[in-house]
Amino acid sequence: MAISTTELKQKIIESLNLQDITPAQIEDEAPLFGAGLGLDSIDALELVVMLEKHYGIVIKDIEEGRPAFRSVRTLADFIEARRPSA
Amino acid sequence: MSARFPVITGQGVIAAPGTSVDEIWQAIAAGTCGLKPLSLFPSPRYGQIPVGEITRDLIALGAPLRASRSDKLAWLATRAALQDAQLDPASNADRIGVVLGCSVGGSYDSEKFLVTLLKKNRMRPCATRFHECSAPVDLIANSFGCYGPSFAISTACSSGGLAIATAADLIQSGAADVVIAGGTDSLSRTTWAGFHSLLLVDSQGCRPFDAARGGMSFGEGAAVLILESEEHARRRGAKIIARVTGWGASCDAHHATQPHPEGAGALAAMQAALRRAQLPPGDIHYINAHGTGTRDNDVAEAKALKAVFGATVPPFSSTKRVFGHALAASGALEAVVCIEALRRQQLPGNPGFQQIDPAIGLAPVTETRAAKLAHVMSNSFGFGGNNAVLIFSQADVTPQTRPTPVQPAHVTSLGTILPDAVVERETQWPLPVEKVTVHACGPFADAGTLNPIQRRRLSRLCQMAILAARRAGRPDPSQRVAITLGTGFGSLDEGAIFLENLIAKDEAEPMPTRFPGSVHNAPAGQIAIDLAAHGMNSAPTADEISFESALWQAMNQLACDEADEAFAGALDELNKYPLYLGKRWGVWDQDNLPGEAAVFARLSQKAAGPLARITALRLGRFRQPFDANAEARWIADSIHLASAAVIVTGAQGWRKFDSRYLDVVAELNRIAPQPLTQQTYKQDCGEFPAASAVGFARAVTIAKERGCGVLLYTLALRGGKAVCLIEP
Repeated sequence: MAISTTELKQKIIESLNLQDITPAQIEDEAPLFGAGLGLDSIDALELVVMLEKHYGIVIKDIEEGRPAFRSVRTLADFIEARRPSA
Repeated sequence: MSARFPVITGQGVIAAPGTSVDEIWQAIAAGTCGLKPLSLFPSPRYGQIPVGEITRDLIALGAPLRASRSDKLAWLATRAALQDAQLDPASNADRIGVVLGCSVGGSYDSEKFLVTLLKKNRMRPCATRFHECSAPVDLIANSFGCYGPSFAISTACSSGGLAIATAADLIQSGAADVVIAGGTDSLSRTTWAGFHSLLLVDSQGCRPFDAARGGMSFGEGAAVLILESEEHARRRGAKIIARVTGWGASCDAHHATQPHPEGAGALAAMQAALRRAQLPPGDIHYINAHGTGTRDNDVAEAKALKAVFGATVPPFSSTKRVFGHALAASGALEAVVCIEALRRQQLPGNPGFQQIDPAIGLAPVTETRAAKLAHVMSNSFGFGGNNAVLIFSQADVTPQTRPTPVQPAHVTSLGTILPDAVVERETQWPLPVEKVTVHACGPFADAGTLNPIQRRRLSRLCQMAILAARRAGRPDPSQRVAITLGTGFGSLDEGAIFLENLIAKDEAEPMPTRFPGSVHNAPAGQIAIDLAAHGMNSAPTADEISFESALWQAMNQLACDEADEAFAGALDELNKYPLYLGKRWGVWDQDNLPGEAAVFARLSQKAAGPLARITALRLGRFRQPFDANAEARWIADSIHLASAAVIVTGAQGWRKFDSRYLDVVAELNRIAPQPLTQQTYKQDCGEFPAASAVGFARAVTIAKERGCGVLLYTLALRGGKAVCLIEP
C-alpha cells in the first residue's frame, strides 16, 4: 500500500513541532532542508525517531537517511522500500 | 609580577584505564582500548555498545559516601593531586580556589529519583540532593578546606579545558595562589541515551581520524591539576611538573551541536592560546586533539589545524579510545596526558586509527614513541560551539605571559527578564499534584522577534536568555564579545522532559531535539549565535554565587584584552521538581517563594556615559560555624568600604540564612566610616540560585539614581560567598 504524502506531512509537522504550517503548505517535491522548510540536522534526527516510531524503520547512520530526507516524495519512497512487510 | 605564572605541582586522575597517572600512562603507551559493554545501569537499547566505564568500587577507594558519582570521582582525583603536590590546603586556605568542569553533575544519582518514581511508584527525594553541577566543587572545597574562589564551569565537552584556563586566570590575576582545577563527569542515562539519539556513537568504539570512523565513545572520570603561582610553589619548595603557558577560549556561534564546518572557532581558540603564550605555531611539538571520532568534529578540527599550522601540522593524536569521551572530565584527563607527554618526552599514540581519511588528509601519531617536546597543546570543544585550548610547557621554559589583575569595568546597559506576577503553579506528571505560589516571568512581549523556525527549537530558558541579552542591546559586529552566563539549575525543563520520556519508554523514542537543550551552556551558546559573539562563552555554576562567578570571568576577559565587550549574566527557570521537592522539604512558605529571572549586564572598559562602574569583585567561601565579624572584615579587606552607602543582600525571609546577612550588616556598620542601609531583592523576584543577578541590577540602578556606592554581598547555601562594589 502506497503511503499518503498528506499523512506523512502531518507526521513531519507533529514530530518537528512546525506549529504554523499545514500539510497543504508543504509541496511533495520541495526540499525539506536548507532553503525549503529551513530544517537542520537536529530535525533530521527527529525524523529518524519518527520513522522508527510510525514505520518501524531503524536508521543507525544519518548518512543512510540523508538521500531520503530530500523531500516528502523521496521520504515516502524510502518508507515504501524499507518498511518491514506486515 | 613574573611570580604569578601558573605552574603545575600535582596531578590526580581516575578513568576507565586506571586510578593513577602511571596506570593511565601505561594504557596510553600500550595503545589500549579502555572500552567495554556498559554495566553501570541497564540500557535495553544500547547496552552492548562499548564505553569507558570505571568498574572499581569508589567507596572502597576511599570516596565519601554522601556524594554523587561525579562528586566521588572528583574527590578521589583531588586527594591524589594534593598528595602528588604535597600540599596541605590548611597552610594557605584562604588563597586556595577550586574550579572544576562538570556537565553531568549528580545526574547519575538524581536520575534514580525518576526511575523509582516511574518504575516503582516510590518517592526518593534524597536521590536529588547532589544533582547540581556545582556539587563537586562544594564537596572538594568543604572537605579539603579551601576558602578561595570556587565555582564549576559547565560548558559540556569543553568544561575541563575551560576550567583549567579559568584557574590559570585566577592565579595570574592574583585572585588565588593555588587552584584545584580540572573536570569530572560520571556516566548517566541522560547523556548516554542523548548522544545515541544524536546518532553520534560508534558501535565499534571510537576511531578518531580514521577513514572508517563512525562516531564517539562514551566514558567517565575525573582529573585534577594543582595549579599554583610560581612564587607560591617556590616558596614552599614544591616540585614544578610543568607550566600552563597558554590558554584561549572561543565560540563558533554556529550551531547547538555541530562544529563550524571550517573549524573557525577551534582556529580562533588555538590562536588565542598561542597569543597568550607568545609562541609561534612552529614551537608546538604535539597536539592532543579533541578528536572525538565523529565525522564532523574530526574534519573540522583537521581544517583548523591546517589553518593554524599550515603545511607542517605538528604530531597530533586523540586518546579518546583509551578513556572514552568523559565529557567535562575529558579536557582535564587530556591535560594530564599532555603533561605526562612532556615529562616522559613521549608522543602519545592514537588507538583506533588505521587509514587516512581523504577528507582529513592528515595522519595522527599511530603508536606512542619518543620525541623531544618543549610545548604541547590540548584541544577541547563542546556543544554550543564552545572551544577551549591549553598550552603546557616544560618546567624549565621561561614563560612570556603577562600578569592580568582584574580591572574595574563599566556597566553600559542592563537587559532583564524579571518576574511580573505572583501566581499559583501546580506540579504535574510524573509528580503528585502540589500547589506552589511562585514569582513567574512572561509571557514575553518581544518573543515574536525570534524567528519562528529558530523559536520552535528553543527551550523557554533559551528564549529567556536570548531576549534578556537582546534587551541589553546588540553589540557592534566589529567588537570581540564574550558571554558568561551563570546558572544554578541549568536547563531543568529540557533535561526533565528528555529523561521522563527516556525512562517511561525504556529508551524507545529518545528526543534528539531536547538533549542538546539540556546542557547548562545551551542558553549561552544560543545567545552567541543570536549576537554573533565569538569570544569566550562560559556557563559557570556555583549555587547562589553563579552570577558573581560569571561576572568574574567577564571582567577577567576584558582585563586580559580577550574581549572588547562582555555580556555577564545569570538565569534560572521555575521547574516542577524544585517546586515539588522544596514544598515537601518545607523550603517554600509565604515569606520564601520560588522564582525565576534572566539578567544581563553589558560590560566594557572603555564606554562613555555608563550606568555604573564595577570597581571591585571578590569570590571566596565562608567558614563553619559562621562568623559575622570575620565576614565583615573580609568585606572590608576586599573593597573600599568608605565608598559604599548601601548594601544589597540576598536575604529572603528564610530565617536560618537571613540572620547571617543581618549579623554581617550589623558588624559592617560597626567598622564602616558611614552607615550602610540594607536593601533586599528576593521579596520581588523569589528564591533561585541566579537571583543575585537581580540584586546586581538593583545595585546598578541605586548607584546611578542616588549617586552612591553600592555593595552587593551574596552567600551561597553550600559555602560560597561574593562581594562586589558598584559605584556611579
